[in-house]
Amino acid sequence: MIRQPLRPLTRILQARAKGESTEAIERENRRHRHEEMREKMRGRAALRLKFLAFCFFAAFSAIGGQMAVLASSDAEEPTIQSAEGPAPILSDRADIVDRNGRVLATNMETYSLYAQPQQMIDPHFAADELARIFPELDHERLVADFTGDRRFLWIRRQISPEQMQQVHDIGDPGLLFGPRQMRLYPNGSLAAHILGGSSYGREGVSSAEVIGVAGVERYFDARLRDPYQQDPLELSLDLTVQAVMEEVLGSGMVLMNAKGASGIIMDVYTGEIVAMASLPDFDPNDRPALPTSGSPADSPLFNRSLQGVYELGSVFKAFTAAAALDAGLVNPNTIINTEGPLTWGRFRISDSHRMDPSMPVSEVIAESSNVGTARIAQMLGIERQKAFLDSLGMLEPTQVEMAEAPTGRPQFPENWSELSMMTISYGHGLAVSPLHLAAGYATIANGGTRIVPTLLRQDGPQVGERIISRQTSDQIRSILRGVVSHGTASLAEVPGYNVGGKTGTAEKPIETGGGYYSDKVIATFSGIFPANDPRYVIIISLDEPVETSGPQPRRTAGWTAVPVAAEVIRRTAPLMGLRPAVERWAPESIHQASQ
Amino acid sequence: MSYLEYNTKFVPTGPRKLLYLNWPVILLICAVATFGFLMLYSVAGGNPGTWMLPQLKRFGIGLALMLVVAMVPIWFWRNMSVLAYLTALALLIAVDFFGEVGMGAQRWIDLGFIQLQPSELMKIGLVMMLAAYYDWLPAKRVSNPIFVALPLILIAMPVMLTLVQPDLGTALLLLLGGGAVIFAAGVHWAYFVTVIAAGAGAVFAVFKSRGTPWQLLEDYQYRRIDTFLDPANDPLGAGYHITQAKIALGSGGWTGRGFMQGTQSRLNFLPEKHTDFIFTTLAEEFGFAGAFGLLLLYALIIIFCVSSALTNKDRFAALLTIGIATTFFLFFAVNMSMVMGLAPVVGVPLPLVSWGGSAMLILLVGFGLMQSAHVHKPR
Repeated sequence: MIRQPLRPLTRILQARAKGESTEAIERENRRHRHEEMREKMRGRAALRLKFLAFCFFAAFSAIGGQMAVLASSDAEEPTIQSAEGPAPILSDRADIVDRNGRVLATNMETYSLYAQPQQMIDPHFAADELARIFPELDHERLVADFTGDRRFLWIRRQISPEQMQQVHDIGDPGLLFGPRQMRLYPNGSLAAHILGGSSYGREGVSSAEVIGVAGVERYFDARLRDPYQQDPLELSLDLTVQAVMEEVLGSGMVLMNAKGASGIIMDVYTGEIVAMASLPDFDPNDRPALPTSGSPADSPLFNRSLQGVYELGSVFKAFTAAAALDAGLVNPNTIINTEGPLTWGRFRISDSHRMDPSMPVSEVIAESSNVGTARIAQMLGIERQKAFLDSLGMLEPTQVEMAEAPTGRPQFPENWSELSMMTISYGHGLAVSPLHLAAGYATIANGGTRIVPTLLRQDGPQVGERIISRQTSDQIRSILRGVVSHGTASLAEVPGYNVGGKTGTAEKPIETGGGYYSDKVIATFSGIFPANDPRYVIIISLDEPVETSGPQPRRTAGWTAVPVAAEVIRRTAPLMGLRPAVERWAPESIHQASQ
Repeated sequence: MSYLEYNTKFVPTGPRKLLYLNWPVILLICAVATFGFLMLYSVAGGNPGTWMLPQLKRFGIGLALMLVVAMVPIWFWRNMSVLAYLTALALLIAVDFFGEVGMGAQRWIDLGFIQLQPSELMKIGLVMMLAAYYDWLPAKRVSNPIFVALPLILIAMPVMLTLVQPDLGTALLLLLGGGAVIFAAGVHWAYFVTVIAAGAGAVFAVFKSRGTPWQLLEDYQYRRIDTFLDPANDPLGAGYHITQAKIALGSGGWTGRGFMQGTQSRLNFLPEKHTDFIFTTLAEEFGFAGAFGLLLLYALIIIFCVSSALTNKDRFAALLTIGIATTFFLFFAVNMSMVMGLAPVVGVPLPLVSWGGSAMLILLVGFGLMQSAHVHKPR
């Protein structure tokens, strides 16, 4: 590159000779050079831009070309790859049944309608007739399709038997039916969240594939569509118990003005979930689309029992007591100081109602004292508390056989501080799902061995790791019985079934962060029955209940969740084969009167 | 070379600026968005409230924002470039390292009325930063190795941060978008040849490392590539998207099945039918004609942007325009390619059509910058 010098000697000398300023010459040349460079740069930039534009154009052509290729292709029969090469889709999907063999999900034969215009005898007549049978079809379009050069087209994906007969009567060999199976849930919305739902996958002329989209259908998709395992999938659910649970929970939810509810009944020895409901629900035959506004946790598709993690409140006190009893730190009669408020830094722990300044451990649970429980937790310490909750499975998602199980991940503070320890001891600061709670109660009530919830029918009890001793389990059961016989859950008394349990009324955290609502609670009852020889654990949880029959609105679990739970137990216990242990009419009163 | 060195003879002021906007681009944007509204109406089964009306509202907000951005002089935006880049970078770091909020969704920051992905912000921030950098850099230093290394770092940081999220689609868009700006700035050819060769080597390494303990991509990303290479391989799992999309396109034919008549997408055959895969609904209902029409609209937007960049003497403005045009181009090219099986499924929305406010808002802000460059160009 030849550069113009900024101060060409001849011009400088000439200028000097004339006595002019040489600065002007330099400035002028500098500007020239700048402009030259700028021009060159702009030229190069333009070249680069044109190259980019060319790249764009090439991409456009590729995309447009692919569009044309795809648009001109006919839809082809999909196949699955097997060892012997492509094979047609097999569509026999196994049924799903409850523990007594009653059908929860099955298949129904339906037909699709398609046309092969090349084989038609009278395309115009066929189009006329089709337009008459299916008024929503466009006649002109049918004529154009039938007389054009298309070889194949779908007309309807699903037709009724009457429509099929009418089309059959047209008698045109170019109109053909393809068999396909439809997944049917004969019980409608019953156990909707557990079953999940299904939809069509790839579709061919002679069959269409049914795929599970949620719940058990999705979790066991491979098993259900396996052609070598045609026997039905047996769940642990009991259809009748599930029906009662949903009915009672539904009316309880209306009665208590709650916006959602969940309920679980689980066998304490086998971990089998006998009933699990979440309201509001939906009909898996017509699974709604995902909501686009509002919180997904309020959608009918959301399974509160499994996916919803909530701070469940005082029901956790039973775990704190169990851990302390098992560690030998206290016995049920150890006197605990319940004088409040208990202050920790800026934080104050106090009780919802007045109570004695000191009471035994069993009364701390029965009267549901936050202060007392926090003091028990202080004896226990952070490490032991965390290890105990972890051994109950409270710190990880449940392993239940549903596609959504991994989303029910417990939430707890990363830094498990002294303060967290105290609040978690009475159920705040650790959010778990109702199913976690059920598994935890089953474990502490069944004699102390770990229970993992399952939805599959089991043949015998689970042999889990021992978490607490049999003696501790007995003590806990009698404490839980005391909560019902003379504590906060007195409305849970169901004559003959010896219910034991614990209430929990937890204020809901404000979604945007910072504090809790004072008028929105999650009210939970977590119970076992019969308490002396436990068979089942029951969880009833109501979202934002308000009971308005009294002079003041009542939100506590004792007034909302507990009566609902009592009704569920009253009606389901006989269905599950439990005999009421009615006490004999006691003649002592007569003795007293006669004395 | 920036504005201070120009004798700008004339710059429109006040409301007169409206006359100097690049109106064809605005009209084209509205036309594309209309396609989107129709499709969202259709995939919701004729229910406007589900997706269409919220989208319409957000488009309105976005359009207003675009005009506001366009009215502000381009030199102000140039001065904001470093700030924009650093802010986006800080947010990106924030969501990567402290983003454990919400239910596992760590790519988002909630602004109340809209949830914003910092990686979306970065798409604009990076282009602004690079354009400002080359505006500042004297032309003779452009190909100097030291001054080539700096923009590479500027690109590499956000690309790495999005890769660990992991969001392959956005990382790719950032990389190619940034690369296009550097290329347009006139960096020597040899660099690009080297990078492409290195890229080919990296691809080789990625495949070689598969299955070893130090493999370079997530398992699901490998599966997506596998699926792209042979969709029939796994038609029920990852190949499902592509197979279904091809069926939808095939059944649409040349003229489509008619508005609201697409069964493939409306009968829930397709997942993500209102987001990344909305193009299949369009192809099924409006056929080749509709799909190609949309492609043409996109192409026209790009053509107007490129010609605006070509006639703009200001370096920052020209580079910014070309960067935004490239980003926009990558959006729809990658989306359409992946839907039609020309590229792996990487999760990029169809710009201005797919449901979702974040991408749309950012694109409209980007077009606002492009308009500002157009209005305030030296005349």
